[in-house]
Amino acid sequence: MNDFLKGNFKTQNKVTEMPEEKTDLEGRFEREALKRLGGSVAFVSKNKVAWDLKEDS
Amino acid sequence: MSGIYEADGGLGAKLVANMVQITDDRISSDALSNAHRNHLMLANGQSLAALRGQSIGQGDSCIVVAAGPSIKRRNPIAMIKDAGYKGAIITTESAIAYCLKSGVVPDLVVTLDPHATRIVRWFGDPSLNEEALAQDDYYRRQDMDEAFANELEFNQEILNLVNEHGKDMKIALATSASEAVVSRVLETGMEIYWWNPMLDDPNLKGSKTREMFDLNSMPCVNAGGNVGASCWMMADAVLEKKYIGLTGMDFSYYEDTPPRNTQYYHEIVDLVGEENLDSVFMRVQNPHLASWFYTDPAYMWYRNALLEMVAGSDSRTTNCTEGGIVFGDGIEFVPLMDFLHRHI
Repeated sequence: MNDFLKGNFKTQNKVTEMPEEKTDLEGRFEREALKRLGGSVAFVSKNKVAWDLKEDS
Repeated sequence: MSGIYEADGGLGAKLVANMVQITDDRISSDALSNAHRNHLMLANGQSLAALRGQSIGQGDSCIVVAAGPSIKRRNPIAMIKDAGYKGAIITTESAIAYCLKSGVVPDLVVTLDPHATRIVRWFGDPSLNEEALAQDDYYRRQDMDEAFANELEFNQEILNLVNEHGKDMKIALATSASEAVVSRVLETGMEIYWWNPMLDDPNLKGSKTREMFDLNSMPCVNAGGNVGASCWMMADAVLEKKYIGLTGMDFSYYEDTPPRNTQYYHEIVDLVGEENLDSVFMRVQNPHLASWFYTDPAYMWYRNALLEMVAGSDSRTTNCTEGGIVFGDGIEFVPLMDFLHRHI
């Protein structure tokens, strides 16, 4: 896209690259992939069975 | 695709450390919403508390049958059957077909994963068709019972088997189970015992586990990240068995398994690309077998969780899988026949 636009016009202000959008897209993709890597359910360390949480509260 | 490539399982090890959060992001919302829907179905069963200390199976031992890749190579249920083992057999829902096809009706089935469409397949999915299969190759490509590759035919077989034997099986049915699973369980006449899987520490403010309990008053069980560990917890804390044998509990893949045939293949490729799989998969040598296996972050996390659960228990756990990576402090690793000789 940059090559296509080059030379068509002159900007009044200096234009800088905005890589954030791509990074964000990759980040979202990675986060979605990561989410699908998870287990079936949580592991809650140092717990077994809470038969009645009313008693524990 | 990304800048997170690390060699030799380095990224995998980091993911293991973050698996609690990754799993929470993946399942908590679905698990809670399923629990709310299943609240209306609780009258179709009892609380898991009714199963506590019940005399299921003879003696003080039990065997957990999970569906890891070793069951194809070691065929533990044939050994259990031939030995005339009378102790309790607890199975993951994923191993129901394996047990029933071998002529063994498990005493207790356990299920918990909230996935909307995949888990019901283990019970036989009445709505399965070509269109649904085209959208999901999850079962087709994995290193499991080869019959599962002929999916429609196998689905009909498991539908018939579970229809026939459902009424003879108890099921520890998590309130997080999908609508499809609950409907299918009800259809087959299984004896239902409801429980809440812990989603977090119930003593924390705003706990989702406590939200489930406040909704339905069912016991809350630390499920250890997966259904295999849940079976162990049922054996230890609910049936109160002193000796627990594990089979099919690999939490890993044989070295000759193509990565494409592993559970999280697509997700790992999406994360690091096909060329960087080594950054996520971790190789582990089992010293009892002098053999190498490889595993992914979820399975390594399951393994670590199970080791911690076993360490905090008074029961004695013997891994009779004859493969995989579940070894360590507190876990005896012996051939299944040794365990059977002790407990028949």
